[in-house]
Amino acid sequence: MAKNKNATGVPMRINKESNRLRVPEQDISQRLSDEALAAQVAQGQPVALEALYDRYAATVLGVSLKVTGDQALAEDVLQETFWRVWKSASGYQSDRGTFTSWLFRIARNLAIDAYRRRSVRPQAVYSAEDHDPILENMPDPDMNVAEQTQLVLKNRQVRTALASLPQAQRQVIEMAFFHGMTRQEIAEATGEALGTIHTRARLALQKLRDQLDGEEFE
Amino acid sequence: MTTMDPRQQVEELLPFYALDALCDEERKLVEEYLADHPEARQQLESMGRAASALPYGVAPVEPPRGVKEALMARVTLDAEAQAHPSREISPQPSRRAFSFESFFRAFSLATAAIAIIWVLILNRQVSHLRSEITTLNGRLVEQSESLEQILQNLPQTNPIISVSLKGTDVQPQAQGQLIANPNDQSAVLVISGLPPLEPGRTYQVWLIGDAPVSAGLLTVDENGRSVLIITSEEAIGSFNSLGISIEPQAGSEQPTGEIVILSDLSEL
Repeated sequence: MAKNKNATGVPMRINKESNRLRVPEQDISQRLSDEALAAQVAQGQPVALEALYDRYAATVLGVSLKVTGDQALAEDVLQETFWRVWKSASGYQSDRGTFTSWLFRIARNLAIDAYRRRSVRPQAVYSAEDHDPILENMPDPDMNVAEQTQLVLKNRQVRTALASLPQAQRQVIEMAFFHGMTRQEIAEATGEALGTIHTRARLALQKLRDQLDGEEFE
Repeated sequence: MTTMDPRQQVEELLPFYALDALCDEERKLVEEYLADHPEARQQLESMGRAASALPYGVAPVEPPRGVKEALMARVTLDAEAQAHPSREISPQPSRRAFSFESFFRAFSLATAAIAIIWVLILNRQVSHLRSEITTLNGRLVEQSESLEQILQNLPQTNPIISVSLKGTDVQPQAQGQLIANPNDQSAVLVISGLPPLEPGRTYQVWLIGDAPVSAGLLTVDENGRSVLIITSEEAIGSFNSLGISIEPQAGSEQPTGEIVILSDLSEL
């Protein structure tokens, strides 16, 4: 790319104070929690669903695409996921887990079902060739800057944690979580003993947890 | 052949329970064990935290506008249908003695009444659906126009790029990301690993072309993190590098203190 250098050296008129992240910080302090929005969805408020969609659609589509490997199928899964949220939000119980755990479980299961109905090759979640996923895709522009930034940071934290795992452990996690394979199927696919698969899954989750705790992942 | 200890069996299954990758029979076995063993629930909670973070490890993908529009149209229709449910026809109980003729008359009248009401309801629904179709057609036209505008603008649009920033020898643990469209005049700066400064001192961000230009003051939280939106009258891609220095509280016209972050922006 031909760069247009700042040849004039004329200082930019930047209001230092205006550079602070005021609006997004206000958004963070004033915005409703996921759980509060889910409660509003349960009361039949489409605006609350739209807010949740804006927050998590990009992540849900990312997960669906990784599982199915098919853009059109993943978009169907995305829409169906939030439709399920709309229809069954009253069944969500915040004392049994976070809203995002519930949401991502719906998306993942729908994606795995869709993938099994249509045999499309899934993509690897992490590979050494991945230079930086942030360069490839950015979140929904309807999200505010603070939400985008949080998403970018979380993506980086989890990918760093995943990258720290031995490849064999990462493979087990990928096969189980993103491809919905049972432990027996994983053992068969990798040619390893079932006990080895158990050990790898346990160690992988322990290490991931330690890494994420160390980075204060929330 | 020996039977496996239930505790050992569940311990082997727990990671896959957390990953939601068990068959129904295995899941049931784990849940029955968990009900009576709080220490196993604690183990699961720990693994579950790691498993529930996994979706964030996938690169987010911006959905096409049409998905949201279709979803919200579907949801809006459903919300309206829930707000105006069809009335149920509940026949009044009769106290008269039963006779075939009276029963037949009552039955005929009731059937006719139900038919008339049903027709009215259907008409109302048809009218409502027509109105919705008109609205949706309008939205479709608007979206098509927007899409055309977007497509026309596409050749001039550059992708969002993220550049890694690294600490200098003064603060080697510091790092960050500058996320920007090179042609835009704003960018998001995400920093971590910078220690909070003593009172009277502040971090100052510099965009450096031929000369450093202040891009704002930066305050880190107790964990050494900060997020700052940088705006500029010139495209962010026109600068060669980005630096962060320690300056007096009010900031400086030019860098005067120690440089804690300095990174090349040639990737923009």
